[in-house]
Amino acid sequence: MTSGEVLLKVDDLSVEFDTPHGRVRAVDGVSWQVRAGETLAILGESGSGKSVSTQALTGILEMPPGRIVSGTAKYRGEDLIAMSVKERRKIVGDRITMVFQDSLSALNPVQSVGKQIAECFRVHRGLSRSESMKRAAEMLDQVRIPAAAKRVHDYPHEFSGGMRQRVMLAMALALDPDVLIADEPTTALDVTVQAQILELIEDLQAERDMGVVLITHDLGVVSDVADNVVVMYAGHVVERAATAEALEHPVHPYTEGLLGSMPSADLKGQELPTIPGTPPSLRSIPSGCAFRTRCPHAIEDCAVLVPPLLTVAPGRDAACIRRTSIPAKEAV
Amino acid sequence: MTGFVLRRVLAAVPIGLIVTLGVFALVFAMPGDPLRELAGDKPIPAAVLAAKRAQFHLDDPFIVQYLLSMKDILTGNFGTTFAGADIAAQLQLRIPVTLKLATMGLVIQWIAGLLFGLYAGFKRNGVVDRVLLLATLFILAVPLLVVYFAAQYVFGVELKWLPVSGIAHGYPLSYLLPAVCIGLTGFAGLARLTRTSIVETANADFVKTARAKGLGEQRILWGHVLPNALLPMVTYMGVEVGGIFAGALLAESIFNLPGLGQFMFQAIKLKEGGVVVLLSTLAFVMFIAINLLVDIVYGAIDPRVRNV
Repeated sequence: MTSGEVLLKVDDLSVEFDTPHGRVRAVDGVSWQVRAGETLAILGESGSGKSVSTQALTGILEMPPGRIVSGTAKYRGEDLIAMSVKERRKIVGDRITMVFQDSLSALNPVQSVGKQIAECFRVHRGLSRSESMKRAAEMLDQVRIPAAAKRVHDYPHEFSGGMRQRVMLAMALALDPDVLIADEPTTALDVTVQAQILELIEDLQAERDMGVVLITHDLGVVSDVADNVVVMYAGHVVERAATAEALEHPVHPYTEGLLGSMPSADLKGQELPTIPGTPPSLRSIPSGCAFRTRCPHAIEDCAVLVPPLLTVAPGRDAACIRRTSIPAKEAV
Repeated sequence: MTGFVLRRVLAAVPIGLIVTLGVFALVFAMPGDPLRELAGDKPIPAAVLAAKRAQFHLDDPFIVQYLLSMKDILTGNFGTTFAGADIAAQLQLRIPVTLKLATMGLVIQWIAGLLFGLYAGFKRNGVVDRVLLLATLFILAVPLLVVYFAAQYVFGVELKWLPVSGIAHGYPLSYLLPAVCIGLTGFAGLARLTRTSIVETANADFVKTARAKGLGEQRILWGHVLPNALLPMVTYMGVEVGGIFAGALLAESIFNLPGLGQFMFQAIKLKEGGVVVLLSTLAFVMFIAINLLVDIVYGAIDPRVRNV
């Protein structure tokens, strides 16, 4: 467990979207926090609200149609959501930075990568053009791009996918941020490159004592790098735990199902178990527990109330009325 | 870069041959005798007729006539029209007229198109955006001829603000009305394209990245959105330069401006294949040059298509 200073603390964040079919709640009462030096994974499938929550608190979500209904997101005690756009811009992009999944479309195709990195120094630090470019080349070198001094003038399409994600990282880490929000940074990459990028993030994080929020749908990635994990389902946080404990003794049936459907050597020759059904559409979330229609342990009471996130053990929360303590069979 | 330009120019040569041959064939295929047309009702002595026919090679086979015309064009030996006017002198008089009209029309079109398009794109669903949508729809729906005649009638005949036709009032007064008509009808397309391009680019992922970098809206707009939105606009503007000369042909005839368009119109009427092909070649060369320019500009703003 990391014990650094709490850098970013999200409390009861809810986000809605106005759609032609009415209002849709994409994020519902989500809370988490990240400390210096900690890697927090937000795990969930597409549509679970994991990206929307971070985009809402950094102010880059299109609003409208999006709308923050409630909640706070405190960076060192200052609420990002309540502050003005101008104030937020001094923090987002400087102290809190982001990298995105698809580095090809997330980089400006008609600007050299150096110029895009240098822009951070120019806007937030007011450095001169030549000084910024020099720093940009240094950043490329730090993310281990070979011949950085030459490649700083190249354009995004002249890099490979892995190299482009390194460029994104260089841009995000240029100003030495406190918190890095990485939104599926490795999803578009193949497995070997994925491992390299994750390793690079870990190294750079250790150098800077930075908090990392890693948004992913990949349990493998979570088990590799995350200290703590927040599992999201249909806009709700369903489980919150230290990664090792969550993987060892999942409490929420959804986490359990995810773990069960991971391929492993023990399952060789057998059919891979899956979670039955599909995630609900946000327009028709089941009453009560959103997961109950796919849950093997569901009882009638599950349909009555949205289960609150309860502490089931020290440092462990889960939102399931059937599992209010660590299950006996796993406590052996 | 030089290699690229050279390749493009070389590739234009066979296309130029096909275009000029096609145009010449079309003129050749038109019914009627050009010399009789010229003379009107007056009888022409057989000897004069024969001499004229020989002078313009009218009795030679089609392909010979074409090759002779091309030889004249390529050697710069333009000769005279059927009516006896020196073609080189005509060009000297007429090219500036068309250039003035076309540039004036283009400037009006580009300024109006970019101004309204950018503003509507920046403030989409605002008042300007909605009005523009309706206005451009209306403009695109009205035929060019109607616009010309309506403008002549309203601003020339009734209000008497501008000359109805002719070049007697000189530059820029005589050119203003046709140029505004050309600009107005052309601006609608550019404005709509600009607007759409801006809106589309504003939703791109890299704009989200720019926002996550903590950049101000103005910087995002001018530094990230606009350079990318420019790409389809440059293509369209290039095509429009070619189109504006086609528009000038009609405008010059209606507003009685002695430019290349009017010259072309008369030459077609008289079946003067040589003149038509000469003017077509001029237009073609210009079109190739503009396209080349567009490609070079495109390469300058988009590194992905540089030096292809």
